[in-house]
Amino acid sequence: MRKLFPLAGLVFLCSMAHAAAGQAPRVVIYDGAVTELSAPSPFTQSKDLWVTLAELTRATGYVVKPQGVCRDELCFPLPKQRKGDFLVQRGKVTWFNLNEFARLVNQPVAHDEKLAAWCFGPRPEAQNSYLATLHAPNFTLPDRSGTLHSLSDFRGKKVLLITWASW
Amino acid sequence: MPGWQIFYHELKDKNLEIVSVAQDTGGVKDAGPWIEKASAEYTVLIDEQHLVTKLYSMVNVPTAVWINEQGKIVRPNEVAFVDDRFKSYSHMDAGPYLDAIRDWVAKGERSSFVLSEEELRKRLTPVSPDRRMADVEFSLAEYLYHAGHGPEAIPHFKEAQRLAPDNWNYKRQAWLLSDADRDYGTNFTKEVQKLNGKPYYAPRQMPEPANKPK
Repeated sequence: MRKLFPLAGLVFLCSMAHAAAGQAPRVVIYDGAVTELSAPSPFTQSKDLWVTLAELTRATGYVVKPQGVCRDELCFPLPKQRKGDFLVQRGKVTWFNLNEFARLVNQPVAHDEKLAAWCFGPRPEAQNSYLATLHAPNFTLPDRSGTLHSLSDFRGKKVLLITWASW
Repeated sequence: MPGWQIFYHELKDKNLEIVSVAQDTGGVKDAGPWIEKASAEYTVLIDEQHLVTKLYSMVNVPTAVWINEQGKIVRPNEVAFVDDRFKSYSHMDAGPYLDAIRDWVAKGERSSFVLSEEELRKRLTPVSPDRRMADVEFSLAEYLYHAGHGPEAIPHFKEAQRLAPDNWNYKRQAWLLSDADRDYGTNFTKEVQKLNGKPYYAPRQMPEPANKPK
């Protein structure tokens, strides 16, 4: 039994198109969002995910700046003596090693080599930040008709949050 | 779920909302019929990516968290049944738990069921490195499954299960998406038998309700 959702179906079709052209598309899942990477990496021997700077921003929201790798108020300086582990110039293109960055900021990464897919999890500081404040982690999810609701919509009420499943 | 609707009806005018979240990779297709049958007035959401399981480090369903008016957790993860249909798994009566919720709704922060910050910090601990790896393996598996790569998803589901062996959500969801005996060499009934009398749900650490609120 296989379920194809509209978006997933599209990804599948894209995969087929790339396969026909002899190029496996690379897929990155970052903060739960799926991004397909068009440019193939020249680092074919590496199991790490190398992305262009434009792809980095498209897939993760991070931007490489002189002070480090930044998103919103957050900046992670790259260790000076190891900059070459993160950034490599090939011709006119600068490549960024997203796995090396994950190791730097302690993100877990799952990888499927055959299907060229990488999934990056949250930094422990981000995941555990609610332990300091004891604020219930917020989320936004659809109801059955697709309308989105956030936990924070119910501020001012007591909330009994209950999970269940059909299985 | 009809039980929760009756309970909600009793308390909804006392500033309580129930937010019920289905942990279902199959989304509306799997959870929808249950939601229809329940015709609940409270908020029922569908969580295809098991986001709530990950955010709150849950290991089972049903799991409840009490959250106060300021959005703070006052009781973290614990098993929450509305009736005694599954008592053979939970070994706990539902009645005292529902009374505890009634007590909280009536008394707010003065309820003896609201945990102190000290107790909350004892119960809420940082997520282990293995669980964090399990979460990304599970996410990758779900993605592969949805992208039409069901067989390729299985090794990643298995890795998630190996890294988080106490997480029933990651087991039962993966088993449902394929033939559990064929692909995982086990099934729910067999795994429950392996518990050999150990509780399927962690026992609730909760005082007996002293006075039932009127």
